[in-house]
Amino acid sequence: MTRRSVAVLFVLGLVATACAGDDGGSGSATTAGPTTTSNQPVRGGTLVVAISADPGGLNPAITTSGATHTAAELMFNGLVSLDENLTPQPELAERWSVENGGATYRFTLRSGVTWHDGQPFTSADVKFTFEQMLLRFHGRASASIGSNISSIDTPDATTVIFRFKGPYAPLLQQLNVTEAPILPAHVYAGAADVRTHPANNAPVGTGPFKFVSYQQGTEIRVERNPNYFKPGLPYLDAVVQRVIADAAAISALERGEVDWIWNVPGPDLARLSSNSGFTVLETASNPGGANCIMTITFNLDRPIFADVRTRRAIFHGLNRQQFLDQILFGAGAVATSPISSGIPFAHSPVTLPAFDAAQANTLLDQAGWRRTGTATRVAQGVAGVADGTPLAFTFAHFPAFSSYGELVRQQLSQVGIEVTQRPLDPPAFSTTVFGQDDFDTGIISYCNATDPEIGVRRMYDSAQIGSAAFSNASHYRNAQVDTLFQQAATQVDPAARTNAYRQISQTVAQELPYIWVVETVGVRAHRANCSGFAPHTGLFAEAAFCRA
Amino acid sequence: MNLGYLVRRLLQVVPAVGAIVVVTFLVVHAAPGDPVAAIAGESGNDAYYSFIREKFGLDQPLWRQFVTYTGNVLTGDLGNSFVQGRPVSQIILERVPATMLLMVTALVISTGFGIVLGAVAARRPFGMVDLTVATTSLVGYAVPVFWLAQLAVLTLAYRWGWFPIQGMTDARASYTGWAAFFDVAHHLVLPALVLAAGELALTARVTRAGLLEELGKPYVQSARAKGLRPARVLRSHALPNALLPVVTIVGTRIWLFFTGAVLTETVFAWPGLGRLLLNAISSRDHPVLLGMVLVIAFAVVLVNLITDLVYAYLDPRIRYR
Repeated sequence: MTRRSVAVLFVLGLVATACAGDDGGSGSATTAGPTTTSNQPVRGGTLVVAISADPGGLNPAITTSGATHTAAELMFNGLVSLDENLTPQPELAERWSVENGGATYRFTLRSGVTWHDGQPFTSADVKFTFEQMLLRFHGRASASIGSNISSIDTPDATTVIFRFKGPYAPLLQQLNVTEAPILPAHVYAGAADVRTHPANNAPVGTGPFKFVSYQQGTEIRVERNPNYFKPGLPYLDAVVQRVIADAAAISALERGEVDWIWNVPGPDLARLSSNSGFTVLETASNPGGANCIMTITFNLDRPIFADVRTRRAIFHGLNRQQFLDQILFGAGAVATSPISSGIPFAHSPVTLPAFDAAQANTLLDQAGWRRTGTATRVAQGVAGVADGTPLAFTFAHFPAFSSYGELVRQQLSQVGIEVTQRPLDPPAFSTTVFGQDDFDTGIISYCNATDPEIGVRRMYDSAQIGSAAFSNASHYRNAQVDTLFQQAATQVDPAARTNAYRQISQTVAQELPYIWVVETVGVRAHRANCSGFAPHTGLFAEAAFCRA
Repeated sequence: MNLGYLVRRLLQVVPAVGAIVVVTFLVVHAAPGDPVAAIAGESGNDAYYSFIREKFGLDQPLWRQFVTYTGNVLTGDLGNSFVQGRPVSQIILERVPATMLLMVTALVISTGFGIVLGAVAARRPFGMVDLTVATTSLVGYAVPVFWLAQLAVLTLAYRWGWFPIQGMTDARASYTGWAAFFDVAHHLVLPALVLAAGELALTARVTRAGLLEELGKPYVQSARAKGLRPARVLRSHALPNALLPVVTIVGTRIWLFFTGAVLTETVFAWPGLGRLLLNAISSRDHPVLLGMVLVIAFAVVLVNLITDLVYAYLDPRIRYR
């Protein structure tokens, strides 16, 4: 065959494949089993999922990276799972008891569970995972459980006992697949460094799907686990997770190239919601963190923020509803409390400063910030601030949060405050704000997680002032609040915990070390011919199916 | 070809690449942002971060980190990725085929079609074809590649469905053989065209200008006087001489294909080195970042050498000593 013939065939082939087109926009099916018009599960098919970032590794026990957890959690389980109300449900553990006033937790493991390679799941796997992975490398686990655990005992193959130094209330909220996925001891045993073990890119788990392949930067492919311990599950034959940027993901969903996306950009929300070919879901839980609140932090070490009247005035000067409408396109809610409404037992609405420019101006005048006409206010008799100093400060933010910075700057200019945006990419932001304390104000997505002990305490506890990311950025110090957090962590009685968190919320709502702007939600979307998703958990496709 | 010249040029690659690596090492470590925060993620405490810092040798003085890194590079060890924990060389090699496929295809398109368009335009200067080529070239050269990519996605892929929106292969099917070939080819068309657009325009303009200059020279007049057809005069006599500047342009601008690939791969979710580079920057994965700079620097220097050699091959008047 001549070179010219080959070239002609190549071009014809391109034309042929181009003209073939694809299966079109909404409503097209994945490969599926029998057609049914009811909502009865259908077996078979491949679910194609768009993920925004390559995970780099598939071991969720050694990292809190959202990308890794998104990609990997379908292959694992936790001792428990959390339902939509954050109530623990049996998973790898079929029952448990809390003893010694909450200092001891005894779990009875489910029998007959096997790893994807056929080996039996035992208590040794739980002990190994916690001691060699979670408590060493998982940031949240090591900071919370790790600081309080005394020992993990395994008297037999189906019993695990967690012994703490004292009563530890939040443990059951930290044992799902996101906070404590369980990995196989027999695979990693003897490894010099679990972080570099090859199984981190070819994982073995107990989850509804088992590993098939991982093409770095392209996709992760998993297939149905026929020996999954939940009878009848999963329904899908396979899940393919494709690495696609968010902007391309929505187009890929609409053209039928993917079936599920993890994030719907705000401008596309209304269009997608009104299209019957797609279903949009909102959830406060994300693989990288749950119940997140966009929070403006003051640097309380800066004299201009020392007076609570100034902080309250800034709060009054912000129209938080506008943030929700313009930036989030209505997805989420204006924060009504320092603790997320996604943690019902700890959330209690408190009175937060409402948007009121007149009140903001009054408070600023009282605090000594004088304004002439529409000029920026200047200090006159403000403690610790030289007279004539303008009320001007910088606002640090991730580049992705620039819209928040714009709105803050616009809104506060109305009350005579000059704000300068200071975009910093995440590693630089972490170093500047938490490591060096070199900032005036900033906005942070603080994720409260599934228990305040995990994601809220670090914001207010004076012992959490340090260089760790997402710690106490404002450098807030209140001994009473510290004591209340300690009480809440060591009280197993839910009512006592609720009371402690209510007092904390009321106190910080008065002292305003932060401005709690909006509670954010994850907005997912999938093709309408698919159903059965559980978006609040990493095992989101455990019971999912797609009809033809 | 003078072998001594070739050896000298090859030896020059070492200090050039070495200097680039030194500068990059210093710049990377001077940039704000602690890689420990990126490695360890949020929610850790100070003790955990200290543990991570020590584990990755980031608690060592900068000069010691540099000495360690340089020593490893000289033995072919580019270190392990902070994020993935795997050898950097392995990670880079996995992505090379996809980027090479994209870049080579774009290079062939831009050079081949650029020369053809330039020649067509030069046949009738300032005619309709010439003006059309000139205008299109100007637009293609001026439009940012990321904007062109988005436009291509929105129209050719999303609106009309002629091409896939993302990826290198179809996620739903596992093709083999010729089916796999055409699947990849189908996915390759848009990103390759987008990446080729800017350089195609420049190549067309340079070819046109070179041809017009050659067509005015006495040897061309002689060829015409001998009765040769105009097309043959252009193709066999003028064009080879007009290609010399094109070779130089293509060779010295080949690095632009890589920067364009970074943007193109992001828009089209093409799994190549460009996206790896972006991820390494955002996650402060220093070993991967340094490894990629090393590879890119070496490649660019090598391509420049090849350009010089090709130039000498095309022009017998040029001899390197």
